[in-house]
Amino acid sequence: MTGLSTASATTAAIEVEHLSKTYGSFTAIRDISFQVNAGEIMGFLGPNGAGKTTSMRILAGYLPATEGTARVAGFDVHENPMAVRQRIGYLPENPPLYPDMTVEAYLHFVAQIKRVSAGDRPRRVDEVIRRCSLEDKRHTLIRKLSKGYKQRVGLAQALVHDPPVIILDEPTIGLDPKQIIEVRNLIKSLAGEHTIILSTHILPEVSMTCDRVVIINRGQVAAIGTPAELTAQVQDRQQAKLVVGAPEETAIRAALQNLPQVEVVSLQPLGSDPPRWQVQLKSNVAAVRDKGTESLGWIPEVARALVQAGIDLYEIGRPQASLEEIFLQLTTQEGSAGALEEAA
Amino acid sequence: MNGAVAIFRKELRGYFTSPIAYVVAAVFWGLAGFFFVNILVRVINFSQQVDLFAQFGQENPFDAATILSQQFLNLLGTLSLFLLPIFTMSSYAEERRRGTMELLATSPITNLEVALGKWLAVWVFFITLLLPPLVYHVLVLSSARPAVDYRLTLMGYVGLALLAGSVMALGLFVSSLTDSTLIAAVATFGLILLLWVIDAAAGQENTWIAATLRHISLLQQYSNWVQGILSSSSVVLFLSIIVLGLFATVQSVESLRWQQG
Repeated sequence: MTGLSTASATTAAIEVEHLSKTYGSFTAIRDISFQVNAGEIMGFLGPNGAGKTTSMRILAGYLPATEGTARVAGFDVHENPMAVRQRIGYLPENPPLYPDMTVEAYLHFVAQIKRVSAGDRPRRVDEVIRRCSLEDKRHTLIRKLSKGYKQRVGLAQALVHDPPVIILDEPTIGLDPKQIIEVRNLIKSLAGEHTIILSTHILPEVSMTCDRVVIINRGQVAAIGTPAELTAQVQDRQQAKLVVGAPEETAIRAALQNLPQVEVVSLQPLGSDPPRWQVQLKSNVAAVRDKGTESLGWIPEVARALVQAGIDLYEIGRPQASLEEIFLQLTTQEGSAGALEEAA
Repeated sequence: MNGAVAIFRKELRGYFTSPIAYVVAAVFWGLAGFFFVNILVRVINFSQQVDLFAQFGQENPFDAATILSQQFLNLLGTLSLFLLPIFTMSSYAEERRRGTMELLATSPITNLEVALGKWLAVWVFFITLLLPPLVYHVLVLSSARPAVDYRLTLMGYVGLALLAGSVMALGLFVSSLTDSTLIAAVATFGLILLLWVIDAAAGQENTWIAATLRHISLLQQYSNWVQGILSSSSVVLFLSIIVLGLFATVQSVESLRWQQG
């Protein structure tokens, strides 16, 4: 199966263009576009109900899209479903297992319906059993396995035909921390030879396993980029932390009031001899854009305004925004999402 | 068709390892055996009476072997009517409930292959259930004097297999409509019962509708087979129901993907 050629010459293993899906009057996803390059691990991040499972199901060819196209391994999922099905491994949110089969019999069955030739089947089944550390459970009925083992059988099922593209819907859901680490390591070990797209609502998962991230919220793409890029974008523009010396709180506020692009988030006294304050500032993205200055231009302006007002500047710095903060910002504020999308 | 073979083997293995299938088999064999002995004893008693009357000069032609065969085959038909819904109730309903439909629907296998594999597996399982009754039935017949024609009895079994095949194709379809095995079983039972006795609706009318109702009545068709009346229209009817059932199943599974939420 490794020898399967892809139909197009592009390096993108998954190309999604303007994908929408509506159920009656409910829009599950709206105008989603992104690409996943061959060999990459792409994270699909969003709160519950954001449209992750719908997107995964469309990519796997299970659900038809209302609008737009999705190409997997060079084939359109709608026009060429059989070619796509042969080239994907898919782990749905609930692993599709037959409880009354043994692990080995189940994997043989999946290999057969995935069109692995009879001669290759034993080798492929052995390979995925080894890879997913299922050696001990080979002859166990699936019904008797723990949740973690069931998830591994689900993963093995998605790998048994050695597909170029692997689609995983919440692969670590319901696992204990040790199992989560095992599954993540397994996924990471698959990168390079396989293209992987995985959905999750767990942030550390993305920064730990994924090369790139699509953040999706209410059915729309909120941001695309590497975890580092996304972190950089937000921290570049958003926050600054200062320690300043001034006799009165009002003096500090007065010095900053002529800067419309800056908002004071918090102001706390640090000590009284000399009187110092810790100030947290946030830039107003829209105002920065209106002024036409570069995105970080507001920081020297703050420094200048403070010094001119006779306030001592002890420290100025930009705190590291965690992916968690980005995610919360993107999925709770409409305004910042637009700005990030443009930057991405 | 490689996919159909895979499904067939998985399903058949499922039947031979499932406790429900063993319970159904036990009930089927137990009741069939009980009624066979019962019918046999009555036929023997009756033929002794007939012999007695014959000694007093009252000739009463009585074909014990045929009566035994017909009564037993009718009994097997009725028994199947009750048990067949249990055979097919989980075919699709369980796949839907467990989410394994998602595996099948994202594998390079067509809905027709899945339906064919499932139907063939349940049919083969039913035919294996018929084998023990067939064996003791033929053994008993072999002791009949004068010797009887087994072909008539065999034809009855062929008719039963065809009847079961068509009922199971419909059961498969009903099972694909729900994710509850219980609903599937009850609805299938209702559907078969309706088709079993639909000729009752025809009454004594002589219209074409009445004729059609009489024709599609499974009971009518099956009694023809049991009595050894072989007509091509009967074969065509059973085969049409099988094709129709499988076609409806494929359509229903196909439409599932469009309703998913």
